[in-house]
Amino acid sequence: MCDVQPKLIAWLDRELSAEKAAGVERHIERCEECRSRQAAYEQVDETFDAYCDAVMAAKLRPRIPRWVPVLASAMVAAGALFLIFPRTRVEPPPVLTPTIAAASVPVPVFVQTPSAQEPAPRKTIRKRRVVAPMQVQAANWQPTETAVQIAIPAEAMFAPGAMPKGMNFIAELSIAPDGSVKQIRLRQ
Amino acid sequence: MSDDSVPLALPLLAAGTSEVTTLYRELRKPLLRYLVCLGLTSDEAQDVVQDAFLSLQRHLASDGTQENIRGWLFRVAHNQARNRQTSYHRRFSEPLDGEMDFLTDDATPEQAVLEKEKFRRLATGIRMLTESERECLLLRAGGLRYREIGEVLGIATSTVGDTVERAIKKLAEKCDV
Repeated sequence: MCDVQPKLIAWLDRELSAEKAAGVERHIERCEECRSRQAAYEQVDETFDAYCDAVMAAKLRPRIPRWVPVLASAMVAAGALFLIFPRTRVEPPPVLTPTIAAASVPVPVFVQTPSAQEPAPRKTIRKRRVVAPMQVQAANWQPTETAVQIAIPAEAMFAPGAMPKGMNFIAELSIAPDGSVKQIRLRQ
Repeated sequence: MSDDSVPLALPLLAAGTSEVTTLYRELRKPLLRYLVCLGLTSDEAQDVVQDAFLSLQRHLASDGTQENIRGWLFRVAHNQARNRQTSYHRRFSEPLDGEMDFLTDDATPEQAVLEKEKFRRLATGIRMLTESERECLLLRAGGLRYREIGEVLGIATSTVGDTVERAIKKLAEKCDV
């Protein structure tokens, strides 16, 4: 190893005096080994500088929170499932609901008052078509119709052994929907 | 915030001292690089840089010496980083092997492999250096002269020269860079 090699790095860093630097330059021109060393040291400098830049860039770059890719993946998976398995529509069973029944309540009123001036709303008519059986049944409904009929045998009216002999009848009791007694009839 | 933007507090405190703002734009990046390579996190490094420039403003306002401001700033930042490292028992930044993909996004696959391998060997060599050798190399990479490095680290200029030479030779010979 020649004597100039220990000064090479200081020479590269421009830390030598002008006189010493000139001596190193003259030596390098004719020393192959020192030129090779000089190239190696410059390569180390360059790589070290790039490494420091890389460390800084990696540390100062904005970091994405860990939950962001997880959430994004979950959303993509949910979207894929939605596309693969489209939503199936659940049809309600054809059962008359209380709402429909209530909507049909005004119908008998309309039927019973044909002299009403205003025509029935179109929407009501459409509903009548949909729930046609219910509408027909409601149209035939009569408020005065008997709601309950009860047949009471004569022996049920007396205490055991108290019924007079020769008496045998059945009392039929008709009760109106409003609770009033509509008719009492006795039959043999 | 861009790299060269100046935080709000600095121009307010340094009103009338535009040279501080100029120095901030010039030296912020080298200071940040030195600090994160010492092992500080991004937030810690930026805090230290901010504190160093606020200290510089107070230093200049109190008619402190204006010679070698670059070395003065690095010394303040170095001392603050040392205090934080002592507090958190943190050492020199480990090689960021897992994050090198980010660094070579624009390179071809072959270049990326070569670059990664070169960094891997260098990182191995850096781990072999002493703390003083690493600090000397980092300050030297920050553009400081041997005399300034000696002032920052509190060692003689000749010692800096010997340390730098030893460190460069280790990296060149052991890591085959």
